[in-house]
Amino acid sequence: MTPSLYIALRFLTHRKRSLLLSLSGVVFGVAIFICTQAQTQGFSSYFINSTIGSNGALVVRSRFRPRYEPLMVSAKHSDGAVGRRLYFQGVSNPNEVMRVSRQFSNVVSCSPVLRGNVSARAAFETATVDLYGIDPALHAQSTDILHQLIAGKFDDFRNNTSSVMIGSRLAENLQAGIGDTVQLLAPNGEYWRFTIAAIARAGICSIDTTRVYAHARVAQALLQQPSGASMIIYKLRDPDRAPALAEHFETLFQHGATSWQDREESTLQLFLTLRMSVAITVSLIILLAGFGIFNVLTMSVLAKVKEIAILRSMGYRRMDISAIFLWQGALIAAAGSLFGCLLGALMTWGVSHIPIRLRGLLYTNYFLVTWDWRHYAFATLLAILAVFIASYVPARRAAELAPVVTIRGSR
Amino acid sequence: MKPEICLSCEEVERYLGEEEERVHALRGVSLEIETGSVHAVVGPSGCGKSTLLYVLGLLDSPDGGRVAIESEPVLHLTDDELAQKRSKLIGFIFQFHFLMEDFTAEENVMIPMRKLGQLSDEQMRDRAAELLDAVGLGDKLRRQSRHLSGGEQQRVAIARALANDPRVILADEPTGNLDTANSERAFDLLQNLVHERGKALLLATHNPAIAEACDWIHEMKDGHIIDSQLRPTRG
Repeated sequence: MTPSLYIALRFLTHRKRSLLLSLSGVVFGVAIFICTQAQTQGFSSYFINSTIGSNGALVVRSRFRPRYEPLMVSAKHSDGAVGRRLYFQGVSNPNEVMRVSRQFSNVVSCSPVLRGNVSARAAFETATVDLYGIDPALHAQSTDILHQLIAGKFDDFRNNTSSVMIGSRLAENLQAGIGDTVQLLAPNGEYWRFTIAAIARAGICSIDTTRVYAHARVAQALLQQPSGASMIIYKLRDPDRAPALAEHFETLFQHGATSWQDREESTLQLFLTLRMSVAITVSLIILLAGFGIFNVLTMSVLAKVKEIAILRSMGYRRMDISAIFLWQGALIAAAGSLFGCLLGALMTWGVSHIPIRLRGLLYTNYFLVTWDWRHYAFATLLAILAVFIASYVPARRAAELAPVVTIRGSR
Repeated sequence: MKPEICLSCEEVERYLGEEEERVHALRGVSLEIETGSVHAVVGPSGCGKSTLLYVLGLLDSPDGGRVAIESEPVLHLTDDELAQKRSKLIGFIFQFHFLMEDFTAEENVMIPMRKLGQLSDEQMRDRAAELLDAVGLGDKLRRQSRHLSGGEQQRVAIARALANDPRVILADEPTGNLDTANSERAFDLLQNLVHERGKALLLATHNPAIAEACDWIHEMKDGHIIDSQLRPTRG
């Protein structure tokens, strides 16, 4: 143990009240930072997982007309604006698009969907619904639909073409359950009758209140659409790389392609803003703890000027003196971060067990949290940085004290 | 055989304070301290005794002149090199002992040894016990320094000054805060050490009895050494 560390330890342990004060600031700052980040990211992750699980990480939609670059050089002052694309509804030759797509290593599976809005009626309730005509087997591979079922069986839906799966909130609104009949209104004004085989809960309100899944061929006939697929949804190995793949698919297939990041941009930005806001607020707590440590160490320097002078007379260098105070800060930061991380984990666990009935944007009965080591690393880094800055000034001040002035002043 | 000069200064000048308050504290002071000798610096308050000690102890830099330890000039050295010299060669004793009050007597004596880093923890403890025993505090090793009397604290400070076995001991009124009995005891201890172990002691004092017992008495006035006397006992 270096002499500076030894003296720092002794200084710290003999000022128990100051030590506890400094330590508690760091511990609570780190713990609250971890807990709030776990919550905000918990809700954000839940939303991301739900949207990817229901709508895919990437969607290829309508074909567009290829835009050729003009052979003539544009006029000097022309703004070179790109003309708007001309889209054609639906995916042209979806089987070929899917066959080529599967060659990409990031693509796990893909599923064609024929989509349209229709009116649904059950008992005396009606609602406008988002009809998804799907291939059950492919859709089960490409989405989390199997995990989202809260009533009924997927096999009952797969084996019965006149059955549907509906969203949980829609089932509540239509007051319909498993085995009940729901009628969907075709564009020609004719009602088609379906049996509800399963009820799914994606956890996102906008999906659960509108989504109805039917067999693709049945949906095609009901919607009277010539196209076999309105879109193809993809499950990816690395959803974070979806934007790059979407760009590549657009060029390759001449179809519009949207990543989940682009699709949910506004909601994701809302979550990000919330996380940033909470992080800044909680960082202020750590900063305040830093001010506390700054005060404690500054007072310590003032109280120890004689000891500092005598240490200098015994051959301790300026850097040894500053190291004594930097070590004190480092020890507080290390212990504070350790206990803060433990308390943060405990608080996160506690918060995740607080019952909360959310039925708005998301569906949940408990606070949602994420266990992410990066929260702990970032909180620790923040604490170390704040404490280092807080202890640097007193340490430097201590090192610059002229021993002779102190000794003369004590006469 | 001529005794070895272990600490010397030549034509040392030192100004204290700034502008109107500037004081010429040392005016061309020259001094040689040889191994095995005890030197007393006497004079009225403000004559420059303590300033001379701080300059010789490398705690303060003079504005002119030369300082040498074991014939090696030291004023060109960096702050860290001077600290190294202080750690190895010089032991300080101050009137206000300046012990680390949260530390025990033993730990206080071990502080300079920790810095020098030449002994193991056990060796440091043994040496601290030996030194505290020599100053009559062998039974108070583990006592916190704030719980010691003034005389005991000064004796701890003496033991601490001797911890690294320095060549030179500089004492600024080391007995100024002690009663007569403790003063004599502390001085006897230092004097014996100097003569037995070949150290050098320079002390600033107002106590005529202690000054009379030294080998040399240097009288200072207004920043000058106006008289240096070798005591007959030495002669």
